[in-house]
Amino acid sequence: MDEQEESQPSAATEGIDGRVAEHQIREEGEQDVNGQTQARIESSPNFIGRHRMAAAMSHLHNQINIIQEELDLLETYGESSLVCKEVILSVESIPDPLLTETIGPVEISWDRWFKATNNSRSNKRWI
Amino acid sequence: MSVAELKERHLVATETVNNLKERLKQRRLALLDTDISGYSRSQGRTPVSFGPTDLVCCRTLQGHTGKVYALDWTTEKNRIVSASQDGRLIVWNALTSQKTHAIRLPCAWVMTCAFSPTGLSVACGGLDSVCSIFNLNSPTDRDGNMPVSRMLSGHKGYVSSCQYVPDEDTHLITSSGDQTCVLWDITTGLRTSVFGGEFQSGHTGDVLSVSINGSNSRMFVSGSCDGTARLWDTRVASRAVRTFHGHEGDVNAVKFFPDGNRFGTGSDDGTCRLFDIRTGHQLQVYSQQHADNDAPHVTSIAFSISGRLLFAGYSNGDCYVWDTLLAKMVLNLGSLQNSHEGRTRISCLGLSADGSALCTGSWDTNLKIWAFGGHRKVI
Repeated sequence: MDEQEESQPSAATEGIDGRVAEHQIREEGEQDVNGQTQARIESSPNFIGRHRMAAAMSHLHNQINIIQEELDLLETYGESSLVCKEVILSVESIPDPLLTETIGPVEISWDRWFKATNNSRSNKRWI
Repeated sequence: MSVAELKERHLVATETVNNLKERLKQRRLALLDTDISGYSRSQGRTPVSFGPTDLVCCRTLQGHTGKVYALDWTTEKNRIVSASQDGRLIVWNALTSQKTHAIRLPCAWVMTCAFSPTGLSVACGGLDSVCSIFNLNSPTDRDGNMPVSRMLSGHKGYVSSCQYVPDEDTHLITSSGDQTCVLWDITTGLRTSVFGGEFQSGHTGDVLSVSINGSNSRMFVSGSCDGTARLWDTRVASRAVRTFHGHEGDVNAVKFFPDGNRFGTGSDDGTCRLFDIRTGHQLQVYSQQHADNDAPHVTSIAFSISGRLLFAGYSNGDCYVWDTLLAKMVLNLGSLQNSHEGRTRISCLGLSADGSALCTGSWDTNLKIWAFGGHRKVI
Protein backbone atom coordinates (compact mmCIF):
# COMPACT_ATOMS: atom_id res chain seq x y z
CA MET A 1 0.00 0.00 0.00
CA ASP A 2 1.26 3.45 -0.86
CA GLU A 3 0.48 4.73 2.59
CA GLN A 4 2.65 2.07 4.17
CA GLU A 5 5.54 3.05 1.96
CA GLU A 6 4.93 6.72 2.69
CA SER A 7 5.38 6.20 6.37
CA GLN A 8 8.62 4.28 6.05
CA PRO A 9 11.50 6.65 6.58
CA SER A 10 14.86 6.12 5.01
CA ALA A 11 18.48 7.05 5.12
CA ALA A 12 19.65 8.70 1.94
CA THR A 13 22.59 8.83 -0.39
CA GLU A 14 23.06 11.50 -3.00
CA GLY A 15 22.42 10.33 -6.54
CA ILE A 16 24.10 11.63 -9.66
CA ASP A 17 21.23 13.98 -10.45
CA GLY A 18 21.19 15.40 -6.92
CA ARG A 19 18.12 13.47 -5.82
CA VAL A 20 18.57 11.25 -2.82
CA ALA A 21 18.61 7.51 -2.96
CA GLU A 22 16.92 5.64 -0.18
CA HIS A 23 18.11 2.80 1.89
CA GLN A 24 15.09 1.45 3.62
CA ILE A 25 15.12 1.67 7.36
CA ARG A 26 12.23 -0.08 9.02
CA GLU A 27 10.36 2.07 11.51
CA GLU A 28 8.27 1.73 14.61
CA GLY A 29 5.66 -0.13 12.55
CA GLU A 30 7.93 -3.11 12.24
CA GLN A 31 8.23 -4.61 15.66
CA ASP A 32 9.50 -8.02 16.56
CA VAL A 33 7.65 -10.21 19.07
CA ASN A 34 9.29 -8.45 22.03
CA GLY A 35 8.09 -5.08 20.83
CA GLN A 36 11.62 -4.02 20.01
CA THR A 37 11.88 -1.49 17.23
CA GLN A 38 13.86 -2.81 14.29
CA ALA A 39 16.45 -0.58 12.67
CA ARG A 40 17.73 -2.83 9.93
CA ILE A 41 19.31 -1.18 6.91
CA GLU A 42 18.43 -2.75 3.62
CA SER A 43 19.98 -1.50 0.44
CA SER A 44 17.15 -1.13 -2.01
CA PRO A 45 17.78 2.12 -3.81
CA ASN A 46 14.76 4.43 -4.03
CA PHE A 47 14.66 8.14 -4.43
CA ILE A 48 13.03 10.24 -1.74
CA GLY A 49 13.77 13.48 0.14
CA ARG A 50 15.67 14.10 3.33
CA HIS A 51 12.46 15.39 4.86
CA ARG A 52 11.29 11.77 5.12
CA MET A 53 14.29 11.05 7.31
CA ALA A 54 13.56 14.12 9.42
CA ALA A 55 9.98 12.93 9.92
CA ALA A 56 11.27 9.55 11.11
CA MET A 57 13.63 11.21 13.59
CA SER A 58 10.83 13.43 14.86
CA HIS A 59 8.60 10.40 15.37
CA LEU A 60 11.36 8.62 17.31
CA HIS A 61 11.92 11.69 19.50
CA ASN A 62 8.18 11.84 20.23
CA GLN A 63 8.31 8.23 21.32
CA ILE A 64 11.31 8.92 23.55
CA ASN A 65 9.43 11.77 25.23
CA ILE A 66 6.28 9.72 25.69
CA ILE A 67 8.13 6.78 27.26
CA GLN A 68 10.20 9.08 29.47
CA GLU A 69 7.01 10.78 30.71
CA GLU A 70 5.52 7.41 31.52
CA LEU A 71 8.67 6.37 33.41
CA ASP A 72 8.48 9.58 35.46
CA LEU A 73 4.79 9.09 36.23
CA LEU A 74 5.39 5.47 37.19
CA GLU A 75 7.51 6.66 40.09
CA THR A 76 4.42 8.33 41.58
CA TYR A 77 2.21 5.26 41.37
CA GLY A 78 2.05 2.74 44.13
CA GLU A 79 2.28 -1.01 43.87
CA SER A 80 -0.45 -3.08 42.26
CA SER A 81 -1.71 -4.30 45.66
CA LEU A 82 -3.23 -0.86 46.27
CA VAL A 83 -5.18 -1.15 43.06
CA CYS A 84 -6.24 -4.74 43.81
CA LYS A 85 -7.84 -3.50 47.04
CA GLU A 86 -9.93 -0.99 45.02
CA VAL A 87 -11.06 -3.73 42.65
CA ILE A 88 -12.38 -5.97 45.43
CA LEU A 89 -14.22 -3.05 47.06
CA SER A 90 -15.85 -2.10 43.77
CA VAL A 91 -16.90 -5.65 42.84
CA GLU A 92 -18.45 -6.38 46.22
CA SER A 93 -20.49 -3.18 46.28
CA ILE A 94 -22.70 -3.86 43.24
CA PRO A 95 -25.72 -6.26 43.25
CA ASP A 96 -25.17 -8.92 40.57
CA PRO A 97 -28.07 -11.04 39.20
CA LEU A 98 -25.74 -13.73 37.83
CA LEU A 99 -24.06 -14.63 41.14
CA THR A 100 -25.20 -17.30 43.59
CA GLU A 101 -24.37 -14.90 46.42
CA THR A 102 -24.83 -11.16 46.00
CA ILE A 103 -25.54 -8.04 48.01
CA GLY A 104 -29.00 -6.59 47.61
CA PRO A 105 -31.28 -5.09 46.65
CA VAL A 106 -32.55 -7.85 44.38
CA GLU A 107 -34.83 -6.75 41.53
CA ILE A 108 -37.86 -8.93 40.72
CA SER A 109 -37.28 -8.23 37.03
CA TRP A 110 -34.02 -10.20 37.17
CA ASP A 111 -36.14 -13.35 37.07
CA ARG A 112 -38.28 -12.32 34.08
CA TRP A 113 -36.38 -14.81 31.91
CA PHE A 114 -38.04 -17.66 33.84
CA LYS A 115 -41.60 -16.39 33.99
CA ALA A 116 -44.10 -17.92 31.55
CA THR A 117 -44.90 -15.51 28.74
CA ASN A 118 -48.37 -15.01 27.22
CA ASN A 119 -47.21 -17.00 24.21
CA SER A 120 -46.21 -20.10 26.08
CA ARG A 121 -48.47 -23.08 25.91
CA SER A 122 -48.23 -23.86 29.59
CA ASN A 123 -47.45 -22.05 32.79
CA LYS A 124 -44.39 -24.18 33.46
CA ARG A 125 -41.29 -22.37 34.57
CA TRP A 126 -38.30 -22.85 32.27
CA ILE A 127 -36.47 -25.00 34.82
CA MET B 1 24.53 16.84 7.80
CA SER B 2 25.80 13.91 5.79
CA VAL B 3 23.78 10.84 5.08
CA ALA B 4 26.04 8.71 7.20
CA GLU B 5 25.47 11.05 10.13
CA LEU B 6 21.70 10.96 9.61
CA LYS B 7 21.75 7.16 9.59
CA GLU B 8 23.91 7.12 12.72
CA ARG B 9 21.50 9.45 14.57
CA HIS B 10 18.57 7.29 13.53
CA LEU B 11 20.25 4.18 14.89
CA VAL B 12 21.09 5.90 18.17
CA ALA B 13 17.53 7.17 18.58
CA THR B 14 16.12 3.71 17.86
CA GLU B 15 18.42 2.19 20.47
CA THR B 16 17.35 4.82 22.99
CA VAL B 17 13.68 3.97 22.39
CA ASN B 18 14.35 0.26 22.87
CA ASN B 19 16.33 0.84 26.06
CA LEU B 20 13.62 3.05 27.50
CA LYS B 21 10.95 0.49 26.65
CA GLU B 22 12.96 -2.17 28.46
CA ARG B 23 13.42 0.08 31.50
CA LEU B 24 9.70 0.78 31.57
CA LYS B 25 8.90 -2.94 31.37
CA GLN B 26 11.28 -3.75 34.24
CA ARG B 27 10.04 -0.88 36.39
CA ARG B 28 6.43 -2.05 35.92
CA LEU B 29 7.38 -5.62 36.84
CA ALA B 30 8.98 -4.35 40.03
CA LEU B 31 5.74 -2.59 41.03
CA LEU B 32 3.62 -5.70 40.47
CA ASP B 33 3.92 -7.01 44.02
CA THR B 34 0.75 -9.04 43.59
CA ASP B 35 -1.95 -9.77 41.09
CA ILE B 36 -5.67 -9.71 41.87
CA SER B 37 -5.92 -13.45 42.58
CA GLY B 38 -2.98 -13.37 44.99
CA TYR B 39 -4.40 -10.36 46.80
CA SER B 40 -7.95 -11.78 46.91
CA ARG B 41 -6.74 -15.08 48.34
CA SER B 42 -4.77 -13.21 50.99
CA GLN B 43 -8.01 -11.45 51.92
CA GLY B 44 -9.82 -14.74 52.38
CA ARG B 45 -11.91 -14.67 49.21
CA THR B 46 -12.98 -18.02 47.74
CA PRO B 47 -14.04 -18.75 44.15
CA VAL B 48 -17.63 -18.35 43.01
CA SER B 49 -19.30 -21.72 42.57
CA PHE B 50 -22.24 -22.67 40.40
CA GLY B 51 -24.60 -25.61 40.76
CA PRO B 52 -25.52 -27.54 37.59
CA THR B 53 -28.79 -25.64 37.05
CA ASP B 54 -27.72 -22.18 38.16
CA LEU B 55 -26.67 -20.59 34.86
CA VAL B 56 -28.91 -21.93 32.12
CA CYS B 57 -29.72 -21.27 28.49
CA CYS B 58 -33.27 -19.93 28.64
CA ARG B 59 -33.77 -18.73 25.04
CA THR B 60 -32.42 -19.68 21.63
CA LEU B 61 -32.89 -16.97 19.00
CA GLN B 62 -33.09 -18.65 15.61
CA GLY B 63 -33.44 -16.86 12.34
CA HIS B 64 -30.06 -16.04 10.85
CA THR B 65 -28.98 -18.30 8.00
CA GLY B 66 -25.30 -17.56 8.37
CA LYS B 67 -22.67 -17.21 11.10
CA VAL B 68 -23.47 -14.60 13.72
CA TYR B 69 -20.64 -12.06 13.88
CA ALA B 70 -21.80 -9.39 16.32
CA LEU B 71 -24.54 -8.47 18.77
CA ASP B 72 -25.52 -5.56 21.01
CA TRP B 73 -28.23 -5.06 23.65
CA THR B 74 -30.33 -1.92 24.09
CA THR B 75 -29.90 0.26 27.13
CA GLU B 76 -33.46 -0.56 28.14
CA LYS B 77 -34.02 -4.14 28.97
CA ASN B 78 -34.79 -6.68 26.35
CA ARG B 79 -33.87 -5.93 22.75
CA ILE B 80 -30.84 -7.16 20.85
CA VAL B 81 -29.48 -6.37 17.40
CA SER B 82 -27.37 -9.05 15.71
CA ALA B 83 -25.31 -9.07 12.51
CA SER B 84 -24.63 -12.13 10.41
CA GLN B 85 -22.74 -13.52 7.43
CA ASP B 86 -26.19 -13.82 5.81
CA GLY B 87 -25.95 -10.07 5.19
CA ARG B 88 -28.71 -9.10 7.61
CA LEU B 89 -29.24 -7.33 10.88
CA ILE B 90 -32.01 -8.78 13.01
CA VAL B 91 -33.58 -6.91 15.92
CA TRP B 92 -34.96 -9.28 18.54
CA ASN B 93 -37.09 -8.98 21.63
CA ALA B 94 -35.00 -11.40 23.66
CA LEU B 95 -37.73 -11.97 26.23
CA THR B 96 -40.34 -13.14 23.70
CA SER B 97 -37.83 -14.43 21.09
CA GLN B 98 -39.69 -12.40 18.47
CA LYS B 99 -37.96 -10.62 15.60
CA THR B 100 -39.06 -7.02 15.27
CA HIS B 101 -36.86 -6.08 12.29
CA ALA B 102 -34.87 -7.96 9.67
CA ILE B 103 -32.69 -5.53 7.72
CA ARG B 104 -31.05 -6.58 4.48
CA LEU B 105 -27.72 -4.79 4.29
CA PRO B 106 -26.43 -3.03 1.16
CA CYS B 107 -23.06 -4.68 1.85
CA ALA B 108 -23.34 -8.26 3.07
CA TRP B 109 -19.86 -8.34 4.63
CA VAL B 110 -20.81 -7.02 8.03
CA MET B 111 -18.50 -7.32 11.07
CA THR B 112 -20.09 -5.22 13.78
CA CYS B 113 -23.39 -3.74 14.94
CA ALA B 114 -24.57 -1.46 17.74
CA PHE B 115 -27.83 -0.19 19.23
CA SER B 116 -28.19 3.54 19.81
CA PRO B 117 -28.77 4.68 23.41
CA THR B 118 -32.42 5.59 22.72
CA GLY B 119 -33.00 2.29 20.91
CA LEU B 120 -34.31 4.15 17.84
CA SER B 121 -31.35 3.40 15.56
CA VAL B 122 -28.83 0.70 14.83
CA ALA B 123 -25.39 1.03 13.29
CA CYS B 124 -23.30 -1.54 11.45
CA GLY B 125 -20.03 -1.73 9.55
CA GLY B 126 -17.76 -4.15 7.80
CA LEU B 127 -15.66 -4.74 4.71
CA ASP B 128 -17.26 -1.84 2.84
CA SER B 129 -15.25 0.48 5.18
CA VAL B 130 -18.43 2.37 5.94
CA CYS B 131 -20.54 2.61 9.08
CA SER B 132 -24.24 2.60 8.12
CA ILE B 133 -27.00 3.91 10.36
CA PHE B 134 -30.61 2.66 10.14
CA ASN B 135 -33.50 4.46 11.81
CA LEU B 136 -35.78 1.66 12.98
CA ASN B 137 -38.89 3.77 12.51
CA SER B 138 -38.20 4.32 8.80
CA PRO B 139 -40.78 2.93 6.41
CA THR B 140 -39.36 0.32 4.05
CA ASP B 141 -38.91 1.16 0.37
CA ARG B 142 -40.66 -0.43 -2.62
CA ASP B 143 -38.55 -3.58 -2.38
CA GLY B 144 -39.30 -3.99 1.31
CA ASN B 145 -35.82 -2.84 2.29
CA MET B 146 -35.06 -0.43 5.10
CA PRO B 147 -33.20 2.60 3.74
CA VAL B 148 -29.87 3.66 5.18
CA SER B 149 -30.44 6.92 7.04
CA ARG B 150 -26.76 7.93 7.24
CA MET B 151 -23.51 6.55 5.85
CA LEU B 152 -20.31 7.38 7.74
CA SER B 153 -17.56 7.22 5.13
CA GLY B 154 -13.90 8.01 5.56
CA HIS B 155 -12.17 4.91 6.85
CA LYS B 156 -9.57 3.46 4.49
CA GLY B 157 -10.04 -0.04 5.79
CA TYR B 158 -12.73 -2.33 7.17
CA VAL B 159 -14.87 -1.24 10.11
CA SER B 160 -14.25 -3.88 12.79
CA SER B 161 -16.23 -2.47 15.68
CA CYS B 162 -18.57 0.39 16.54
CA GLN B 163 -20.17 1.77 19.67
CA TYR B 164 -22.47 4.74 20.26
CA VAL B 165 -21.29 7.30 22.79
CA PRO B 166 -23.59 6.73 25.81
CA ASP B 167 -26.53 9.11 26.45
CA GLU B 168 -26.68 10.47 22.93
CA ASP B 169 -27.68 9.12 19.55
CA THR B 170 -25.51 11.71 17.82
CA HIS B 171 -21.99 10.33 18.17
CA LEU B 172 -20.34 6.99 17.77
CA ILE B 173 -16.82 5.59 17.71
CA THR B 174 -15.54 3.09 15.15
CA SER B 175 -12.37 1.02 14.94
CA SER B 176 -10.84 0.04 11.62
CA GLY B 177 -8.39 -2.05 9.67
CA ASP B 178 -6.83 1.26 8.61
CA GLN B 179 -5.20 1.40 12.12
CA THR B 180 -7.38 4.26 13.34
CA CYS B 181 -10.41 4.86 15.51
CA VAL B 182 -12.80 7.64 14.57
CA LEU B 183 -15.33 9.68 16.54
CA TRP B 184 -18.23 10.53 14.21
CA ASP B 185 -20.90 13.21 14.34
CA ILE B 186 -23.88 11.29 12.98
CA THR B 187 -26.01 14.38 12.29
CA THR B 188 -23.47 15.73 9.80
CA GLY B 189 -21.85 12.42 8.83
CA LEU B 190 -18.43 13.99 9.43
CA ARG B 191 -15.43 12.82 11.43
CA THR B 192 -15.04 14.82 14.63
CA SER B 193 -11.67 13.22 15.48
CA VAL B 194 -9.31 10.58 14.09
CA PHE B 195 -7.28 8.67 16.67
CA GLY B 196 -3.98 7.36 15.36
CA GLY B 197 -3.12 6.98 11.71
CA GLU B 198 -0.30 8.38 9.66
CA PHE B 199 2.14 10.61 11.56
CA GLN B 200 0.26 10.06 14.81
CA SER B 201 1.31 7.88 17.74
CA GLY B 202 -1.49 5.37 17.36
CA HIS B 203 -1.87 1.69 16.68
CA THR B 204 0.56 0.10 14.26
CA GLY B 205 -1.82 -2.62 13.16
CA ASP B 206 -5.51 -3.13 12.37
CA VAL B 207 -7.74 -1.98 15.22
CA LEU B 208 -10.22 -4.72 16.05
CA SER B 209 -12.27 -3.51 18.98
CA VAL B 210 -13.38 -0.45 20.98
CA SER B 211 -15.03 0.06 24.34
CA ILE B 212 -16.23 3.39 25.71
CA ASN B 213 -15.98 4.05 29.46
CA GLY B 214 -19.48 3.89 30.94
CA SER B 215 -18.42 6.18 33.83
CA ASN B 216 -16.61 8.76 31.68
CA SER B 217 -17.62 8.73 28.05
CA ARG B 218 -14.63 10.87 27.05
CA MET B 219 -12.39 7.86 27.57
CA PHE B 220 -12.31 4.79 25.38
CA VAL B 221 -10.05 1.83 24.89
CA SER B 222 -9.05 0.11 21.63
CA GLY B 223 -7.48 -3.30 20.89
CA SER B 224 -5.34 -4.08 17.89
CA CYS B 225 -3.41 -6.59 15.81
CA ASP B 226 -0.27 -4.84 17.07
CA GLY B 227 -0.78 -6.72 20.35
CA THR B 228 -1.54 -3.62 22.40
CA ALA B 229 -4.56 -1.94 23.89
CA ARG B 230 -4.61 1.88 23.96
CA LEU B 231 -6.52 4.29 26.13
CA TRP B 232 -7.74 7.47 24.41
CA ASP B 233 -9.19 10.78 25.55
CA THR B 234 -11.61 12.01 22.86
CA ARG B 235 -10.32 15.55 23.39
CA VAL B 236 -6.76 14.53 22.44
CA ALA B 237 -6.62 12.70 19.14
CA SER B 238 -2.91 13.10 18.46
CA ARG B 239 -1.68 10.47 20.88
CA ALA B 240 -2.99 7.73 23.14
CA VAL B 241 -3.13 8.49 26.87
CA ARG B 242 -1.45 5.15 27.55
CA THR B 243 -0.43 2.00 25.68
CA PHE B 244 -0.86 -1.37 27.38
CA HIS B 245 1.58 -4.13 26.46
CA GLY B 246 1.48 -7.75 27.51
CA HIS B 247 -0.49 -9.74 24.97
CA GLU B 248 1.45 -11.88 22.53
CA GLY B 249 -1.12 -11.82 19.76
CA ASP B 250 -3.91 -9.75 18.23
CA VAL B 251 -6.14 -8.11 20.83
CA ASN B 252 -9.57 -9.08 19.51
CA ALA B 253 -11.73 -7.74 22.30
CA VAL B 254 -11.62 -4.93 24.84
CA LYS B 255 -14.28 -4.08 27.45
CA PHE B 256 -14.33 -1.59 30.29
CA PHE B 257 -14.73 -2.96 33.79
CA PRO B 258 -17.93 -1.78 35.53
CA ASP B 259 -16.11 0.70 37.82
CA GLY B 260 -14.63 2.47 34.81
CA ASN B 261 -11.08 2.39 36.19
CA ARG B 262 -10.04 -0.93 34.70
CA PHE B 263 -10.60 -2.74 31.45
CA GLY B 264 -10.37 -6.31 30.17
CA THR B 265 -8.88 -7.64 26.95
CA GLY B 266 -9.09 -10.91 25.01
CA SER B 267 -6.48 -12.06 22.53
CA ASP B 268 -5.32 -14.57 19.90
CA ASP B 269 -2.70 -15.60 22.49
CA GLY B 270 -5.56 -17.38 24.30
CA THR B 271 -5.52 -15.16 27.38
CA CYS B 272 -7.69 -12.44 28.84
CA ARG B 273 -6.09 -9.68 30.90
CA LEU B 274 -7.21 -6.96 33.27
CA PHE B 275 -5.44 -3.58 33.18
CA ASP B 276 -5.69 -0.53 35.43
CA ILE B 277 -6.16 2.68 33.41
CA ARG B 278 -4.64 5.08 35.92
CA THR B 279 -1.37 3.28 36.62
CA GLY B 280 -1.17 1.08 33.54
CA HIS B 281 -0.59 -2.01 35.71
CA GLN B 282 -1.49 -5.40 34.27
CA LEU B 283 -3.51 -6.67 37.22
CA GLN B 284 -4.35 -10.20 36.14
CA VAL B 285 -3.96 -12.79 33.40
CA TYR B 286 -6.78 -15.28 32.81
CA SER B 287 -5.49 -18.37 31.03
CA GLN B 288 -5.73 -22.13 31.03
CA GLN B 289 -2.90 -24.51 30.30
CA HIS B 290 -3.26 -26.16 26.90
CA ALA B 291 -1.49 -29.44 26.23
CA ASP B 292 -0.82 -28.91 22.57
CA ASN B 293 0.47 -25.35 22.90
CA ASP B 294 -2.24 -24.29 20.53
CA ALA B 295 -4.56 -22.32 22.78
CA PRO B 296 -7.89 -21.32 21.25
CA HIS B 297 -8.25 -17.61 20.53
CA VAL B 298 -10.38 -15.35 22.69
CA THR B 299 -12.93 -13.78 20.34
CA SER B 300 -15.08 -11.72 22.73
CA ILE B 301 -15.44 -10.75 26.39
CA ALA B 302 -17.96 -9.22 28.78
CA PHE B 303 -18.06 -8.54 32.52
CA SER B 304 -21.03 -9.26 34.75
CA ILE B 305 -22.56 -6.09 36.17
CA SER B 306 -20.45 -6.15 39.37
CA GLY B 307 -17.34 -7.29 37.53
CA ARG B 308 -17.07 -10.47 39.59
CA LEU B 309 -17.51 -12.62 36.49
CA LEU B 310 -15.63 -12.35 33.19
CA PHE B 311 -17.30 -14.12 30.28
CA ALA B 312 -14.96 -15.08 27.44
CA GLY B 313 -15.91 -16.63 24.11
CA TYR B 314 -13.30 -18.73 22.31
CA SER B 315 -12.70 -19.90 18.75
CA ASN B 316 -13.25 -23.55 19.73
CA GLY B 317 -16.77 -23.00 21.07
CA ASP B 318 -15.83 -22.71 24.72
CA CYS B 319 -17.44 -19.92 26.70
CA TYR B 320 -15.58 -19.66 29.96
CA VAL B 321 -16.95 -17.95 33.02
CA TRP B 322 -13.96 -16.62 34.98
CA ASP B 323 -14.04 -15.52 38.59
CA THR B 324 -12.20 -12.22 38.02
CA LEU B 325 -10.99 -11.96 41.61
CA LEU B 326 -9.60 -15.48 41.96
CA ALA B 327 -8.65 -15.95 38.27
CA LYS B 328 -10.35 -19.32 38.26
CA MET B 329 -12.50 -20.70 35.46
CA VAL B 330 -15.73 -21.61 37.29
CA LEU B 331 -18.00 -22.72 34.44
CA ASN B 332 -17.85 -23.46 30.72
CA LEU B 333 -21.15 -22.48 29.09
CA GLY B 334 -19.93 -24.20 25.93
CA SER B 335 -20.16 -27.58 27.59
CA LEU B 336 -23.57 -27.08 29.19
CA GLN B 337 -26.78 -28.65 28.03
CA ASN B 338 -28.53 -26.62 25.36
CA SER B 339 -25.37 -24.81 24.39
CA HIS B 340 -24.37 -23.85 20.86
CA GLU B 341 -24.05 -26.72 18.42
CA GLY B 342 -20.88 -28.75 17.99
CA ARG B 343 -17.70 -26.89 18.81
CA THR B 344 -18.60 -23.83 16.79
CA ARG B 345 -16.89 -20.55 17.52
CA ILE B 346 -18.48 -18.11 19.92
CA SER B 347 -18.01 -14.89 17.95
CA CYS B 348 -19.65 -12.34 20.22
CA LEU B 349 -21.26 -11.92 23.58
CA GLY B 350 -22.87 -9.19 25.63
CA LEU B 351 -24.64 -8.54 28.89
CA SER B 352 -28.14 -7.04 29.16
CA ALA B 353 -28.31 -3.53 30.63
CA ASP B 354 -29.52 -4.72 34.05
CA GLY B 355 -26.98 -7.55 34.11
CA SER B 356 -29.61 -10.28 34.41
CA ALA B 357 -28.81 -12.05 31.14
CA LEU B 358 -25.87 -12.86 28.89
CA CYS B 359 -26.33 -13.28 25.14
CA THR B 360 -23.86 -15.37 23.13
CA GLY B 361 -23.65 -15.38 19.33
CA SER B 362 -22.11 -18.24 17.42
CA TRP B 363 -21.01 -19.47 14.02
CA ASP B 364 -23.82 -22.06 14.42
CA THR B 365 -26.13 -19.15 13.31
CA ASN B 366 -27.93 -18.89 16.65
CA LEU B 367 -27.95 -16.52 19.59
CA LYS B 368 -28.54 -17.86 23.08
CA ILE B 369 -29.66 -16.12 26.24
CA TRP B 370 -28.25 -17.28 29.56
CA ALA B 371 -29.62 -16.29 32.97
CA PHE B 372 -29.42 -17.33 36.62
CA GLY B 373 -32.23 -19.72 37.47
CA GLY B 374 -30.98 -21.07 40.77
CA HIS B 375 -31.46 -20.04 44.35
CA ARG B 376 -29.95 -16.66 45.09
CA LYS B 377 -28.46 -15.87 48.49
CA VAL B 378 -28.54 -12.19 49.45
CA ILE B 379 -25.76 -11.09 51.77
